[in-house]
Amino acid sequence: MRNQISRVLVAGAMLVSIGLWSSAPLRAEIDLSGEWVDKYHEDWPEREPGPDIDDYTALPINAAARIKADSWEASVQTLPERQCIAHPFPYSLRGPANMKIWAEIDPVSGRPLAWKMYGTFGRATHTVWMDGRPHPSKYALHTFEGFTTGVWEGDMLTTYTTHIKMGYLRRNGVPTSDQTTVTEHWVRHGDVLTAIVIVEDPVYLTEPYIRSSNWVMEPHQMILSSPCEPISEVSHKPGVVPHYLPGTNPFVNELTKLYNIPVEAARGGAETMYPEYRKKLKDKYVAPAKCERYCCGWEGLDGTRAATLGCITNFP
Amino acid sequence: MSDAVSRRGLLTVSAVLWIGLTGSMYGQGQSAPGQAGAAPAPPPPTPEKAAPIDITGYWVSVVTEDWRWRMVTPAKGDYASIPINVAAKKFADAWDPAKDEAAGEQCRSYGAPAIMRVPERIHITWQDEHTLKVETDAGKQIRLFHFGDWKAPAGPATWQGDSVAQWESPRTRRGDTTSAGVPPAKAVFGDLKVVTTHLRPGYLRKNGVPYSDKTTLTEYWDLSTEHYLTGSHENEQWLVITTVVNDPTYLMEDWITSLNFKKEPDGSKWDPQPCSARW
Repeated sequence: MRNQISRVLVAGAMLVSIGLWSSAPLRAEIDLSGEWVDKYHEDWPEREPGPDIDDYTALPINAAARIKADSWEASVQTLPERQCIAHPFPYSLRGPANMKIWAEIDPVSGRPLAWKMYGTFGRATHTVWMDGRPHPSKYALHTFEGFTTGVWEGDMLTTYTTHIKMGYLRRNGVPTSDQTTVTEHWVRHGDVLTAIVIVEDPVYLTEPYIRSSNWVMEPHQMILSSPCEPISEVSHKPGVVPHYLPGTNPFVNELTKLYNIPVEAARGGAETMYPEYRKKLKDKYVAPAKCERYCCGWEGLDGTRAATLGCITNFP
Repeated sequence: MSDAVSRRGLLTVSAVLWIGLTGSMYGQGQSAPGQAGAAPAPPPPTPEKAAPIDITGYWVSVVTEDWRWRMVTPAKGDYASIPINVAAKKFADAWDPAKDEAAGEQCRSYGAPAIMRVPERIHITWQDEHTLKVETDAGKQIRLFHFGDWKAPAGPATWQGDSVAQWESPRTRRGDTTSAGVPPAKAVFGDLKVVTTHLRPGYLRKNGVPYSDKTTLTEYWDLSTEHYLTGSHENEQWLVITTVVNDPTYLMEDWITSLNFKKEPDGSKWDPQPCSARW
């Protein structure tokens, strides 16, 4: 009897074991969790100190977007009620964004319920739901981070975001509407993480806008919460919302003055993103005699690595 | 049932389950190599046949990043975004395109570490079943990606260097790859890793930011198909090349960027242009 029980137990275990061998899927996924340091090795002046007021280069925007962007006055961000607004999601990964990424695990299945990405300006946590839940009704609340679901395509995490509050695509007021949707592809190659972000906006963009940004793993980084406390930065009369009326923005053409970029190129548009546009630029563009602003890139002029300070003190 | 029998039974059950669990973690369905009596394994598929993704065809670079440094030649001394060191700054401060033209060095900004940043179209084909060819219309350059145990021929360094390629898929990333650098079985997803060395010194940026002959370029080519985009953009294909430039001579750290290319239906916009030292 005892032997029979043992035999049954072993046979059962073998069946379970065989089942595990034959049915456990080889997961085509990769662990994204950890501390990631943003690399500003492209567009550093735009992403760190900030873009020029009228720099709409490389953006597939329409006329409505230009008009709205021209009305933007940087001082609007000094209003106490706006100081702590998180970067809207279509922009946030391009701005300063050292990140901590982790998975929220389903305690029963062990599978990630969601990926959490934390650290973008304003500390809006980017939550990517992985449990197959549907997107909410189009009338549901829109937020700066939006509502995101994700699926794995091999080792690539593909996500889709809707319900994003109106915001901006660049930190100089180039707008995004509340109809904007965002597709992301997250790929990890060793200690390098790349997020490919494609923005679609039927209101302000004439075609999808793609950007890809890079991070490297830095286990010693510790992203902490940084509560924002509004203060009085600039004295405004009550009720005033800083802005420019159409045709009154004094900084339009700043890009042309600083870098000789032809006005029509500085105003952006899908055409300017493609190689053939260089033919239109060739006869109109003359490189400035020397660089006079944000020249030093990563390194300070004194040979140190004080990237940001080095560049900012390099104003003409 | 005595305690001894029970313990022995439980130990046996545990051992069997442990073997099962362990096996399940390491890719199921693969027979152990060298098993007695096993039929000889078929030869691994060629890199062309084993490609987990198809990146052949015409692609256009969509310049949505670093526009001011790529679409036009920036001012002398504009090194923004590149982690250069003092030696690189000194070198670039002496940039003189006229000298490059006189020396026949107009292609300095078209070497492998820079060529994918140039606004251009690229055409990717298989030169043979072990070699992927990437042609550029800008500067009329040709890059050859060699799979397997290819050995670089002796000779001087070149603009495009010697490139060794391998497909990466979820399996190969776990160390399960063949000597030919291809996944052991057809995979649905993956990327192309390319490592390039033996480079002739050139420019990372048109305005003379240098890279040296000690540079190693590592690239990861990822393909995506856009199911969420709408209208005519639905199912567009994008090729994003994550690029890591390591240069102990002129960079303070690896220069990491990523370039975005969109698939085109044909080569009707292909526009070959010679190298230019100024534009």
